[in-house]
Amino acid sequence: MKLADRLAVWCRRLAVMTRKELVQLFRDTPLMGFLIYSFTLSVYVTGNGIQTQLKNAGLVVYDADRSVSSRELISRFHPPYFRFDGELTHPDEGFHWLDRGRSMMVLDIPARFHEALTAGEQTAVQLLVDTTNSPQGLSAAGYAARIVGQFSQELIMMRNGQTGSSSTTVPMILSDHRVWFNQDQNETWFESISHLLRMITIFAVLLPAAALVREKERGTVEQLLVSPLTPAQIMLPKVVAMTLVILGATAVALFGVMLPVFDVPIRGSIALLFLLTALFIVATAGIGVFASTVTKNQAQVGMMTLLVVAPMLLLSGIFTPLETMPAWVRYLMALSPLRYFIEIATGILLKGIGLEMLWSQALSMVALGGSLFGFGMWRFRKQFE
Amino acid sequence: MEGRTIPNSPITDHASPITPVVRVSGFVKRYKKQIAVQGVDLEIKRGEIYGLIGPDGAGKSSLMKAIAGVLSYEGGTVEVFGTTVDSERSAEQIKQKIGFLPQGLGLNLYPDLSVEENIDFFARIRLVPEHELDQRKARFLAMTRLEKFRDRPMKNLSGGMKQKLGLICTLIHEPELAILDEPTTGVDPVSRRDFWTILAEMQQERGMTVLVSTAYLDEAARFHRLSFLSGGKVVAAGTPAEVQALVPGLMVTFEATPQMGAMARLKTGYKQVEALGSLLHVFTEETVPAAAMQSIISSLGDITPVHLRVDEPELEDVFVALLLRQPAQPPPAELPRTMGLLANHGLAIEAKGLIRDFGTFRAVDRVSFQVKSGEIFGLLGANGAGKTTVIKMLNGIMPPTGGEGWVAGADMKTAGGAIKERIGYMSQAFSLYLDLTVVENIRLFAGIYGLDTKATDQRLTWIVSMAGLKGYESNLTGRLPMGVRQRLALGCALVHQPRVLFLDEPTSGVDPIGRRNFWEILSRLAREEGVAILVTTHYMSEAEHCDHLALMFAGRIVAEGSPGEMKRQVEQEAGQLLEVVTDQPGPALRRVAEAGFAGAALFGTKIHLLSLDPPQDEARLRMVLASDGLHIQSVSTRPLSLEDVFVHRVMALERQEQAAAKGAAA
Repeated sequence: MKLADRLAVWCRRLAVMTRKELVQLFRDTPLMGFLIYSFTLSVYVTGNGIQTQLKNAGLVVYDADRSVSSRELISRFHPPYFRFDGELTHPDEGFHWLDRGRSMMVLDIPARFHEALTAGEQTAVQLLVDTTNSPQGLSAAGYAARIVGQFSQELIMMRNGQTGSSSTTVPMILSDHRVWFNQDQNETWFESISHLLRMITIFAVLLPAAALVREKERGTVEQLLVSPLTPAQIMLPKVVAMTLVILGATAVALFGVMLPVFDVPIRGSIALLFLLTALFIVATAGIGVFASTVTKNQAQVGMMTLLVVAPMLLLSGIFTPLETMPAWVRYLMALSPLRYFIEIATGILLKGIGLEMLWSQALSMVALGGSLFGFGMWRFRKQFE
Repeated sequence: MEGRTIPNSPITDHASPITPVVRVSGFVKRYKKQIAVQGVDLEIKRGEIYGLIGPDGAGKSSLMKAIAGVLSYEGGTVEVFGTTVDSERSAEQIKQKIGFLPQGLGLNLYPDLSVEENIDFFARIRLVPEHELDQRKARFLAMTRLEKFRDRPMKNLSGGMKQKLGLICTLIHEPELAILDEPTTGVDPVSRRDFWTILAEMQQERGMTVLVSTAYLDEAARFHRLSFLSGGKVVAAGTPAEVQALVPGLMVTFEATPQMGAMARLKTGYKQVEALGSLLHVFTEETVPAAAMQSIISSLGDITPVHLRVDEPELEDVFVALLLRQPAQPPPAELPRTMGLLANHGLAIEAKGLIRDFGTFRAVDRVSFQVKSGEIFGLLGANGAGKTTVIKMLNGIMPPTGGEGWVAGADMKTAGGAIKERIGYMSQAFSLYLDLTVVENIRLFAGIYGLDTKATDQRLTWIVSMAGLKGYESNLTGRLPMGVRQRLALGCALVHQPRVLFLDEPTSGVDPIGRRNFWEILSRLAREEGVAILVTTHYMSEAEHCDHLALMFAGRIVAEGSPGEMKRQVEQEAGQLLEVVTDQPGPALRRVAEAGFAGAALFGTKIHLLSLDPPQDEARLRMVLASDGLHIQSVSTRPLSLEDVFVHRVMALERQEQAAAKGAAA
């Protein structure tokens, strides 16, 4: 009976404190605005806007030949991948276009291009590519190489056909690939999922940290400390409240934007997804709790969040695959809960796999989250001693 | 007004001595739709110390900022040195002649710079020549006794020291007009007295004009002239004597048992009834002492008053009387009885040899005291004397280095959890949630203290009626007036019916009527419900409410007793308070200090000093001053205030400490 009473009081404390956090957050108009924007409009804009595939690359041409063949080659650089920006009257003009960033590529076709081809001689075209934005530049160069290669291969076949031999006599390997999990190679899927994960991460660190540091800043923590609340009872309700809020916001992003607008599939279990998302938020909140113990006001905690979250976002494998990073970064990122959560989220949504395959990631997150949260909690207790 | 075209010319060029330094007429300031100041008129003459007095939100800050040229306004005119301040350009013209100290302790200073670096910085942006800077700096540092802290970073100074440094930085360029916004709020009485000394000297020697605002009504006597503001309007203006004459009447002080019963009877006939420790303090509009006493005796019926005394009212009583004449005063709070809470007359708090060290610094040094149930115990002391540390140890937030203590029957070392369940605490900074409503705050704390739904509803009703919160229930706490907030904070501290209540500077920034309501609730909690109350305060007029006082200095308790006993002790040691009125207070004060009179200080135009033998000292004073051709208008004895007690004790201890330090050095 005594124990039951104490448990009832414990639960009542947790409930009133959690309720208080929710009320306070809902009345914080700027923060609510930021939260709503981040999980709706910003997901939509990012899903639509970020494209890593080659699109709309500017091309200018210096055509010294002006022949059937040169026009044929130029016409193969077509939208949506390329944008024809016009012809040059002098080869040197190309440098100006590149220097000023007006165009990304300059194609230089020499005189006697057609003549050489029909005569069966070897000839070359020059392509200058601006690779300041390296992924776009490199991919433009790759596309261009394929276009020129294809053109040249067709010429060879035509020539062989003219001389009487059939195409089957030419030995060649056809590469025929099948894409899995995202058959349309729809980039909005991955981009909107990544963006959602970014937002979850930012808010999972920021919200509890801001809520904790606000109590310090306004002096209300003093009143809580002289009350019978233990440090854990002060901290836990904030994490619980903020986890609920972020889960709600995730549901809005998923069912309000990503499903209806981008047709992102949910191939696995939604319940499992939300359960593991909750686990991820709690684990990440540990970082926020720690941040709140080493800062004095909301401005500081905001900057601290930026400092911790930015490398986590950049290096955990959202922007670029982990496999491409140096070994030490990969080891360091084993400490980022986001690294595991990316595999979990894309796995459940796009691959439709469940715990039977994701258990190791889930376990890693439990272990890591437990230690991060434990560490944050320890620091939180310690600062009041 | 041709002088406006020559921005930096000395004022004497274009303004005759009769022109007031500041002239404000019909001043109106609005913040969005809220009117902060509505139609204030004001004239400040050269060389005057002019006071703006009034509760928080009365419009003092808006008016001062407009005069300093840093705030735009909606109506009326503001003229400073004959220049109309109505644009940034015109404000630039007067800024060189002005020193402005904004509200808040040390907010204009740089925390990481040392005392000297701060002064140098402010002097250099004002282009003070280096040789003059050295002289002024040495003089100011000596006057404020900050000399030995020259190299200490500002952030490591106590509140009082920060504020003195703030004042030096404001005055280093010797402005003709100093505008000081609540410079003494949150500052201990000794620093406060230093502060007034500097201002008086600058005014005497340089003819500086000073505009000061304050929320301490007992400081009103220090001004030459003043305006009393409330709700954005001037309620009264003039010299302290003129203001006093607006409300004729007398204060009657006596003891009566039962105190609360007597208070209830008096409240039906008198607007101002206060319980000060065991005394009752009543303002009557009778002007004849005998009639005043008779009217009190008759309204008390069968309760017989003892130790009856009649005094002239203090300015604070006059202000409260003026405020009570204003329409739309909030109704006084009702204190409903709590069921079944009998006062158990035992010890509520006992501290025995408490010690707390921070590194090598001993913040609390063998502090012992006892607080009985139903007693109001006041802990006084300057900032940094160790009051808050004592409270933190007793609350179980901070473990003591040595000694022991019991609070509400629980040992503070072993039963910190039990203590927290049994005490109520209200801190100096308002520490409720401003973004929650009144009811949400109360329900939150009810939940924290583990009350169930039924108990929560009962306590909610009790708190709303006790704190006079009816009608405010669903208002956001942040939008409440300070006085109401403070009562809500008290209500939340009482939600679990604690036996012991800790109040750490509970009434900073609360208007006088709010403060009186607050203290009435405290008195009744102590008298009727047997709650033990430990309170710290900087307002010495509030310390009068306590049954028992302990004065802390450098971590130790150096004096203890009831307010009356404390005053009697000082009277025996140092004598009675003499008030001297002369035609030239400045030179007279210097002469009096040279002649070796103790504790001489300037209060407005009057000189206060302590005298063990008033008749003989009066004769000596008259002789000393007459030899300089100074004329004494009157000499009278006045009752010592607790502030005088505080200042006398702390100054004596500081002198001892210095002497000891010198002895050790030698």
